Amino acid sequence: MTQENAAVRASGLTKRYGSGDAAVTALDGVDVAFEKREFTAIMGPSGSGKSTLMHCVAGLDKPDGGEVWIGGTKLSGLSDDQLTDLRREKVGFLFQAYNLLPTLTALENITLPFDLAGRRPDQKVIDRIVDALGLRQRLHHRPTELSGGQQQRVACARALVTEPEVVIADEPTGALDSGSSAELLRRLKRSVDELGETVVMVTHEPSAAAYADRVLFLADGRIVDEMAEPTADSVLDRMKALEKVGR
Amino acid sequence: MLKSLLRDLRAHKARLAMTLVAIVLGVTATVAAWVVSDSVAATLAAREQRSGVAAVVRSPGNQPELTAADRDRLSRLPGVARADGVLIARAGLVGRNGKLVKAETVPDFAGTNWVGADRFRIKDGKAPSRRGEVALSADAAKKAHVKVGDTVTVLLANGRSDRAAVTAVFDYRNLGPTVDADTQTPADRVPSVAYDDATARSLLGGAFHRVELTARPGAAPKTIAAAARAAVPSDRAVGTGAQLAAASERQADKEAGDLRLTMLPFAAVTLLVGMFVIANTFGMLIEQRRRRYALLRAVGAKRRQVRFSLIVEATVLGLIGGTLGAGLGAALGPLLLGLMRTGEDLHYVVSPTAILLGYAVAVVVSVLAAYGSARRAAAVPPVAALRVDGTIPRETKRTRVVLGTGAIVLGAVLVLVTAAPSVSNQARIVGMAGAVLATVGVLLLAPLIAEAVLNPVARLVAGRGAALRMGVRNAARDPHRTAGTAAAITIGLGLVCAFATLSATFTALVGSTTRANTPPGTVALRSAAGGESTLTPAEMSTVGSLPGVTAVAGGRDMIVKLRHSGGETQRKISAIEPAALRTVLSPKMTKGVPDLTQGAVISRNQADMLGLGLGDRFTLLPGRGGPIETRVVGVYDATELQASLFIDVARIPAPLRQSVTTIYATGPDPRAVRQTIDRAFANRPDVEVTDRDGLARQGLDEQRIAFTLMYAMFGVAIVVAVFGVVNTLVLSVMERTREIGVVRAVGARRSLIRSTIAVESIVICLFGAVLGVLVGVAVGAVLQHVALGQRLWDITVPVGTIALAIGGLSLVGIVAALWPARRAARTDVLVAIAAE
Repeated sequence: MTQENAAVRASGLTKRYGSGDAAVTALDGVDVAFEKREFTAIMGPSGSGKSTLMHCVAGLDKPDGGEVWIGGTKLSGLSDDQLTDLRREKVGFLFQAYNLLPTLTALENITLPFDLAGRRPDQKVIDRIVDALGLRQRLHHRPTELSGGQQQRVACARALVTEPEVVIADEPTGALDSGSSAELLRRLKRSVDELGETVVMVTHEPSAAAYADRVLFLADGRIVDEMAEPTADSVLDRMKALEKVGR
Repeated sequence: MLKSLLRDLRAHKARLAMTLVAIVLGVTATVAAWVVSDSVAATLAAREQRSGVAAVVRSPGNQPELTAADRDRLSRLPGVARADGVLIARAGLVGRNGKLVKAETVPDFAGTNWVGADRFRIKDGKAPSRRGEVALSADAAKKAHVKVGDTVTVLLANGRSDRAAVTAVFDYRNLGPTVDADTQTPADRVPSVAYDDATARSLLGGAFHRVELTARPGAAPKTIAAAARAAVPSDRAVGTGAQLAAASERQADKEAGDLRLTMLPFAAVTLLVGMFVIANTFGMLIEQRRRRYALLRAVGAKRRQVRFSLIVEATVLGLIGGTLGAGLGAALGPLLLGLMRTGEDLHYVVSPTAILLGYAVAVVVSVLAAYGSARRAAAVPPVAALRVDGTIPRETKRTRVVLGTGAIVLGAVLVLVTAAPSVSNQARIVGMAGAVLATVGVLLLAPLIAEAVLNPVARLVAGRGAALRMGVRNAARDPHRTAGTAAAITIGLGLVCAFATLSATFTALVGSTTRANTPPGTVALRSAAGGESTLTPAEMSTVGSLPGVTAVAGGRDMIVKLRHSGGETQRKISAIEPAALRTVLSPKMTKGVPDLTQGAVISRNQADMLGLGLGDRFTLLPGRGGPIETRVVGVYDATELQASLFIDVARIPAPLRQSVTTIYATGPDPRAVRQTIDRAFANRPDVEVTDRDGLARQGLDEQRIAFTLMYAMFGVAIVVAVFGVVNTLVLSVMERTREIGVVRAVGARRSLIRSTIAVESIVICLFGAVLGVLVGVAVGAVLQHVALGQRLWDITVPVGTIALAIGGLSLVGIVAALWPARRAARTDVLVAIAAE
């Protein structure tokens, strides 16, 4: 793990919710780095801190302690506007509940980040991504006219279109059927292999994690294990072991 | 179900507040209107009535014709203890500033003699007993700023005046109504000035207006009345005290009823718009709770239960709003009373009816407004709970087009069918209903109009800044949301424009008619007391004898019954010397000749309404004398608000000629005539000398109540518009937390969110405003037709007012958008995107 090659890096991340007896430690000094052109899955039981880690790494949430770098930029000390611009230029998001804007067509949703920045998108990049995600025929439809899988692919295209340092995906297959899930994950993996993207994905499905190059296991706010070249079975075994330890 | 509902109510405090404000506004207006009219009724009813008088014998018309001999004869009737001859004559009190005091009763009927059983209650001082002493009513004394011991000037008939020391200030105790109820029931107006009997008879004239008979113990009033009837000529009206008391009560009821009728439209307007706001709020509410309803349905709630829960919610809100509104309305009542009837001692009554009405209105309105939403909520399929996205089935576009277009077409047909100026009152109401229907149609079509108008605009700004582009696009892409928000503005501005058009047309009409029909050189004299007060032939001959004056005429305005082939109706007519129409007045004739010796000259507008044409015969029935048969010989241009039918003064009974409403005079040198007349009446504060423009202004002044009413409607409309704008904008932003969160996550700065929302709000406001102006002016055209009997297109468009209203409301829109925009910009991204 060479730090210089990392797309996103975090060290000593700590996050607590509540106070006193009711305080919950969501992240407990996490050190982690996601390298460029790598597809990383983060797994862990509910309440292990996966989502909090995601939010902190993506600059959506502020950690209580520790530091996050996206590309070469340190997040602490940035103003809200600087953080927003950073998110727009360097981070792509994929949420479980697609989160497309209902008033915009698929294409307008995809180019929304450019719209917000007031820049013209690079047509070649758009064409490449639209074709990679198989959305060519659907570009002028509204989200309500698309299936769940198609909507999530639009969201995926939106995340990729700015050619960000990292794509953060929070349970992207959570609302999809197995067929749509498989297709989305295949396309995500291809964007890493062929387009050179970096993807970090939180999931609780071993079959989804199996698409990743590497799986990190989180428990009680700490990274407890790591697995390279995962398969659905090996991930499932490791999860079961973790849950036993947790008890 | 109930528990989850109450928790829900608590969870959405802002929305709860919005809905509540809407209900409270409407209920407050209703309850306040009721409290005010109840209080006025109670005050009128509590007006002290005399009960001691058994019967009253009254002179015919308002002319005193009963003599002292009549009185003495009546006093000798069996059972009569005493007979009091009451004098009523002209007496105007001059205030400290040298001007005529405008007391409760006009000077024509304000002087009387200090007689009668318990007519006067002395508040201060002692009764006047000799020449040089006078008593004043509390009202007059207060308005003249004089008290017992002061010396005052009283203006009498024929230009005479009297100086006397005030010996008493009194409260008057009425016997019967204060206005003429009918020819059989004399009015007992509150006198301002009372002299002792002997002085009064020398100053005010010898003949009595009426004789009041007091019964001996045990004598039946009816017997006395019957005996009195036999003892006087048949044209003297005789009534018992009980009949008068009953008439007085009827008058009080009628006044309260009239007041209620004028006040309730305000309540209706606020309630209607309140309903609209509530319906809107509930609409948004169920959009947000869609998943919850789906979930309830999925776990086994029946449609009926979902519907019921929303109805209960509306009822609870209605009850809370009703309580607040009733309280506020009851509290607002005295304030309104103070404003409307300044300087009067009023009883303040809050009847249970008012409170119950407030509650009923609140609950009914809320439930009605929520019912549509409740049905839609119940229509949410259980499967919606399982889907992340998906919308509630709305009524299809086609139904909307059909309904909207249908309403507009039907409304337009109703308006056009009843557009003739001669239509009856019922037809006018139908026309008004048509205008309202067409407005509803426009509101129904509003989403489609928004789509059609805003999409091109969105394309137009496509290359501009991000905020402008996104703001316009947001407004264009969800025409339902845009139209729903804009509708509040459309309604508000529509109301403002409609009433502005009405009042502008009205103003233009009143002034222009006077100007068109009076030559600039004509000098006009009227009573300075205003109201129904008049001058007398004495002033006319004074004017006529002045050097340089070559033409004098006296217009005697009066309300008469008019019988024509189409039926019978009441009309204000003016009897005047025939020469007047060629000298001091210049009616713009559209048909026939201005020759009163041949028949009547009538305004085009009246002719239209009565269906009278040139040469048609009709009959006038004045209060006294026989019917006057005449025919139309000329038609001229005028409005229905003025006396719009001229007849020859020689045709009316002599007593009616004594009350001259306006004296017109002119001569070869009008300026010299004006100066001469001004000099001649310099020491007559009861006479106002003016000219054409002054008459036009007075015409407007006389319609002041109508204007006040219109401006009040204006005020209500503006409050409602502002409230609607703020409410819907706030709600429409609240509804979109999640969307805004996504845009923030994807990289929109706070400032961009703020300006996008602001642009969107302005676009929505402008769209609603333009639609409102169009609808408002159109409705205003119908309104002026309905109210003034004009042709539909004879309108004056109040450009200034409309520009001001658009500017003001747009400003309100921007300001109203600031708070939600700030709120939106602060949206916590994590919370927003996590929100389910």
